[in-house]
Amino acid sequence: MRTITFDIDRFDGSRSWTQSYSFEHDPAHTVLSCLIAIKEKQDPTLNFTASCRSAICGSCAVRVNGNAVLACDTKLDSVLKQWGSDRLQISPLGNFTVLSDLVVDWSPKIERLRTARTGLKARKEFTAETGCQQTPAEFARIQKQWDCILCGCCASECNKLTDDRRDFLEPFVYTHANRYAQDSRSAEPMLHVREMLGRGLWKCLHCMECVTKCPKQIAPAADISAMRALAYANGVTDGKGPRHAAAFRTDLENTGRLNEVRLVPRTEGLIDAATGRMSFTFRMLKSGKLSTREATKLYFVDNSPIEGLDGLRKIIRYRRAK
Amino acid sequence: MNRKYAFFPGCVLDGAAHEARMATEAVAGRIGVELVEIPGWSCCGASQTQDVDPEAALAANARNLALAEKMGLDVLTACSTCALMLRTARQTLMNGRMADVNEALATADLEYKGTAEVSHILWLLADTIQDWAPMVKTPLSKLQVASFYGCHTVRPPKVMGYENHLAPHSMEAIITACGAKPVLIPDRLKCCGFHAVFPAEQTAHRLTASAADNARKNGADCLLTPCPLCHMQLDMYQPDAREDTGKGGETPVLHLTQLVGLALGIEHEKLGLSKHIVSTDALLAKC
Ligand code: FES
Repeated sequence: MRTITFDIDRFDGSRSWTQSYSFEHDPAHTVLSCLIAIKEKQDPTLNFTASCRSAICGSCAVRVNGNAVLACDTKLDSVLKQWGSDRLQISPLGNFTVLSDLVVDWSPKIERLRTARTGLKARKEFTAETGCQQTPAEFARIQKQWDCILCGCCASECNKLTDDRRDFLEPFVYTHANRYAQDSRSAEPMLHVREMLGRGLWKCLHCMECVTKCPKQIAPAADISAMRALAYANGVTDGKGPRHAAAFRTDLENTGRLNEVRLVPRTEGLIDAATGRMSFTFRMLKSGKLSTREATKLYFVDNSPIEGLDGLRKIIRYRRAK
Repeated sequence: MNRKYAFFPGCVLDGAAHEARMATEAVAGRIGVELVEIPGWSCCGASQTQDVDPEAALAANARNLALAEKMGLDVLTACSTCALMLRTARQTLMNGRMADVNEALATADLEYKGTAEVSHILWLLADTIQDWAPMVKTPLSKLQVASFYGCHTVRPPKVMGYENHLAPHSMEAIITACGAKPVLIPDRLKCCGFHAVFPAEQTAHRLTASAADNARKNGADCLLTPCPLCHMQLDMYQPDAREDTGKGGETPVLHLTQLVGLALGIEHEKLGLSKHIVSTDALLAKC
């Protein structure tokens, strides 16, 4: 008999412990059906949430060996193979407050979701009589985001949230905001973006955990990026994040390559860069990472233009005009 | 080994991480990999340009891919973010954007058909261990090395997909082939913070300090990364991270190709080992 063991993180409101449950391997099992079998046959006190068993309700997300999955949509065999072991650690989602065993508290998350001002404020030309239609192409721009089932997987290993959730939101919140910001029927797309700008929109680390973990193949990091671009196009160009990103674009068209020496003053402003980055600059010069001659050239002149720079500019401008 | 690639160095290998370029070229030369630099390659956007101008980022990378394809070669890069940007662009083009982006490329007499693919020096070295391991002259048996993969080396797996993103092994296989001992640290698959070092500086510093500290506490002589951007963050900003967090000690950070170069017996000067912020002297004394 092949035996599978789940080491499950338990919590009863005051005490935490890990409890092991062993059972016979069955290739038909999902992670959720294992949990249900444990509860039914071994330990009725084990708490977890699940409802639809069809990857629709979003209530069954847990972590397997520290990585979020939708329990009902994850074959036991796939995780056993992935980890190369018949013993798995099952834990509640990360970056959530645990209520009991594998059950996490969604109420603060829903409050944070509200900040995206979800709900469509339709453009004036739409009326009860004429409806609120959009073309298939317009819907395609937000279709993926509508697949979100609020399972929380995207938030579980988000490196920014793990470090500090006071100045950043769960990735799904940004996805929901972008879903309305990109909706062709929206009267005020920036309404949602503005809320996110004040709540960490430029603080995403690009760790790509959200994109990796979403069981619906949504890319919250791309939603963050799309809202940044929308904000920039709407004139919100100030701040370290937008100035930093814009410097890359400027260099791309100026010479084709990044000017590392101008990057910091462009991002932080000349005075802040000169005062705050003195020891950094000194250490760069001292280690030979940067020569004084090279730094002077980059600051006052620039990189030499790449071969075919004209072509690059033409390509970019053609795309932009489209 | 006899392989040839269109080399995409990326901006930092020509700038603050010049030692990574030196080491990449030295190692490639030693193991029989010919790197032909793509003439006129441009910045990949560094996971930044798309935030203000997504079409410019896509167009520039389509051009980079087209230039490589014209050489009849696959692309090789030594930077994980460059690899992610180029591979993402390729995937976007292959999934419905080829025709309209090619219209733009035509204005510069270029076309991308989708034949040139993009690989990473990590993957090449891991795939060819059997070819270069016999060339190891100086087994690094006294070294304990903590791998730091870097987010974009493995995530998102739908774009990168070389190995199991949850339990990758390529770095450890290379460390072992170099004769050194791999050390697993909790930060191994975490973010270094580089891409948000300005807007989220405190977070970036805490992540950097944690990796450096855990490497040291677990007995590693150095951190090892296949991404020059992780290297910049972990090495260049380590003193700031230390000051900010109060986590003490210095942890040298090696580029992947520097470690392989040391094992292959390449002279230290050719690997740029003196061009680091955190000194590599103590580590080199063990080699
Ligand atoms: S039980 Fe509904 S999504 Fe898993």
